[in-house]
Amino acid sequence: MKQSELIEYFLLEAEEHLEALHRAVSELNPSADCETAIEDLFRAAHTLKGSAAIVKLEGISNVGHRLEDILEGIKERKIALSPQAIDVISVMIEGLGGMISDLSKKKITPAETGLALIRQADEFLSNQFASVEAAPEAPTAPKMRRAISPVQAPSERPERRRADRADEGGDFYYGNFIRIDIQKIETMLNLIGEITIKKNYLVQRSREAQEVIDEITFAGDRLLKEVTDFSERYSYSFAADTPKHADVFFSGFGELEFDRYDESNIFSRKLQEITNDIQEGLKQLAKLYDDYSQDVRGMDHDIRMLRSDISETRMIGVGRLFQRFVKAIKDMAKAHGKQAELKILGGDTKIDRVVFERLFDPMMHIVRNAIAHGIELPEKRREKGKPEQGQITISAMREGNAIVIEVRDDGRGIDLDILRDHAAKQGMVKVGDDYSRDELFGLIFQSGFSTREGVDMTSGRGIGMNAVRRQISDLSGIVQVDSERDVFTSFKIHVPTTLAISNVVIFSSHNAEFAMPVTLMEEVTQLDIMDGLEAGHGAINYRGRRILAKSISDFFGSARIEDRLNKYVIVCNISDKKVGIIVDSIIGQEETIIKPLNHFLDGLSIYSGMTISADGKVRFVVNPMTLFEADLRPQFDITEQFTEDTAPKILIVDDSLSVRKYVTNFIENRGFKPLAAANGHEALNVLHENKVDLIITDLEMPVMHGYELIRRIRSIEYLRDIAIIVLTSRGTQKHRQMALDTGANDFLVKPFDETALSDVIARYVLKRA
Amino acid sequence: MSEELEIKSGEKTYCVFSVSEREFLLPSEAVREVVEISRIFPIPGAPEYVYGALPLRGRIIPSVDLSKIFPVEKPSYQNAKLLVVDVENEHIGFLSESAPFFVTFDEDIVVEDVIDIKSFFETYRIKGAS
Repeated sequence: MKQSELIEYFLLEAEEHLEALHRAVSELNPSADCETAIEDLFRAAHTLKGSAAIVKLEGISNVGHRLEDILEGIKERKIALSPQAIDVISVMIEGLGGMISDLSKKKITPAETGLALIRQADEFLSNQFASVEAAPEAPTAPKMRRAISPVQAPSERPERRRADRADEGGDFYYGNFIRIDIQKIETMLNLIGEITIKKNYLVQRSREAQEVIDEITFAGDRLLKEVTDFSERYSYSFAADTPKHADVFFSGFGELEFDRYDESNIFSRKLQEITNDIQEGLKQLAKLYDDYSQDVRGMDHDIRMLRSDISETRMIGVGRLFQRFVKAIKDMAKAHGKQAELKILGGDTKIDRVVFERLFDPMMHIVRNAIAHGIELPEKRREKGKPEQGQITISAMREGNAIVIEVRDDGRGIDLDILRDHAAKQGMVKVGDDYSRDELFGLIFQSGFSTREGVDMTSGRGIGMNAVRRQISDLSGIVQVDSERDVFTSFKIHVPTTLAISNVVIFSSHNAEFAMPVTLMEEVTQLDIMDGLEAGHGAINYRGRRILAKSISDFFGSARIEDRLNKYVIVCNISDKKVGIIVDSIIGQEETIIKPLNHFLDGLSIYSGMTISADGKVRFVVNPMTLFEADLRPQFDITEQFTEDTAPKILIVDDSLSVRKYVTNFIENRGFKPLAAANGHEALNVLHENKVDLIITDLEMPVMHGYELIRRIRSIEYLRDIAIIVLTSRGTQKHRQMALDTGANDFLVKPFDETALSDVIARYVLKRA
Repeated sequence: MSEELEIKSGEKTYCVFSVSEREFLLPSEAVREVVEISRIFPIPGAPEYVYGALPLRGRIIPSVDLSKIFPVEKPSYQNAKLLVVDVENEHIGFLSESAPFFVTFDEDIVVEDVIDIKSFFETYRIKGAS
């Protein structure tokens, strides 16, 4: 076996040992008896050391060895379980984690790292044994203790083992288990996904086949009826007609004494027979089809089972992953001079590992905020009559196909009044208007809200909550916040338990088909005409409340009133608010694989991914959160504060009429006064006659280009301080640098993003207002 | 495709394709395959130069119309081909009016109109607000 292969195996195993180490170290406490935790630590360290030595990873093995020495000392009660001891143990585990993670990334850990850890351990050990050993040289110490305790594994306590292994009784490694690379499961799940899509197509096709059969049966019935009618009518009229063939043989019989046949009679009889045959054939076909569709349904069921079984293999108890927060919380609390402990509930709840990995960052963010801004300092807590140690509870619960994870702290909570005041100052809410609790709490997820100074000091939350919401929405999840002042703050995250296959609703809009995960949808309803007209103003009435609504076409700026008639609304929950997406028609619901967006299309943030239908159609997956993001962020709705004279004036310089029109509109809608010029020369004239607060200019223009304009402005005394934003299609670094060097304050590239422009304008204009 | 070409050291092979009489070159090793365009789907919200998305064996290839980037006549993409290129594991496509062909030059010849796909990708990638 190759060395690299051995290392692969080592890594698989090491992760588990590290987890055990992390788990056990979090249980250590100087004031309590931690025998089991020490035992667990010792075992994990020992195995890790041994495995590392086998694959010749001396650095890790040596550090593991020292850790084992310390633990052994504690186990033998030769070393006291002092806070220093716990610190050293934590540092060693952390170090091991770092070395192993480097190894998995194929990075070479500098030898210093390992040596420093060993030195630290040796120092600690020599302090502990100072009285016993005169010169504790590194290799002698372990050797001595090695001899004391050659036995260890049999002391294993059954209750400490993981439940899933306990059933097996025997040693895990020799049991009916194999280790599987998570990538392999991923591949299998993708395949199952493809099969699911094909199966869906098959089901759809067999439905079509059923329709064809129905049609044929109907036609066959009609044919039979016509033929029967015809032949009956014919046999009645037959008597009246003169027979076409007078057969001598029959002449002796009376009219009713013998059936007589002529050609049409025979023809009708034959038709009837054929129709009967067809009828019989159809019956058989229907039976066959019934069997067939039953088989398809059976297969459908099997595929579902297979899928859930395979997804299950990738699911792990979420508690195992929550463990990662234990150390982080301790460290962060320490850094803030606070005390906090983590309580984990519902750790058995299973979650797709991939989902969790992507949840980790946003959760860490929430946890960090909880400690930095939520939990009070010990004195403060005592004053409030709370225990000095704050508590952070992370709990998990299964709800259908979703998992609900709650991060809750018992800190100071969010003060709604302060929140409202801040929002009002930033023009996000109107003073005096009524807002629901949810709406106010929702403000903390809005970008622009948190980045301003002071907010996190007073309201207690904020930095990057917008990013948190976005990351969660990329997982087809939502996050909600609730709080009570001085009692608690809680963040609830709802995400699907697995991402391998998503249940989506397919709809059409803007002449294209789109998909949206069902988990994000609340309801689909038909839009009535009044609502449709009202929707032109960006909102509809939903169950007695006005909610934001728009169609995909609105997003591309091509909506007409007709676009809103006879349409459907998909009502979505985006954390704090409900919003409505107006669509042309609902095509159906299906299970599919959502593929990540191609990097080339990264900036199309209204999509969270793409899918291919069974019959090869490309559909983009709409993310309602980002679709409405621009509407949810501060609209700088401070129009009332500006009168005609005081509104900041913004000059747009561009040789393209459409750009001028577009930006002018944009500026006007936000309560500013737009001025326009087609080139640098015109711009200087405008500047001469008007006091302008901000200039947005193109670079390439006839008569006088943008660089020259910027240069001139910067050289004129009374214009020198006006902020200049460059808006150009020349996005290269060279142009950017040159523009900034010439004196531009900011640089935006066409096609530009409305929110980016909004932000830039806000930065330079509102600063002065 | 490129395996038929014997690449001698000191030579470089390019894939030549055309948009409205103008020829563009791509380093042949960047071109993964050339496909017929049967169905291509619009990408609402994308800039004009992104012609559409083409499903190809489970992948979705955003396709670029160079006539919207370079000053050329309006092309006719009736029998268009799509050159699928690989840029660090992401695939994008370039529309070509004609079937592309390969040419080989000595390495020291300065070849014009070569698209540097990496910088093309970075420049024309749709960038987000953040």
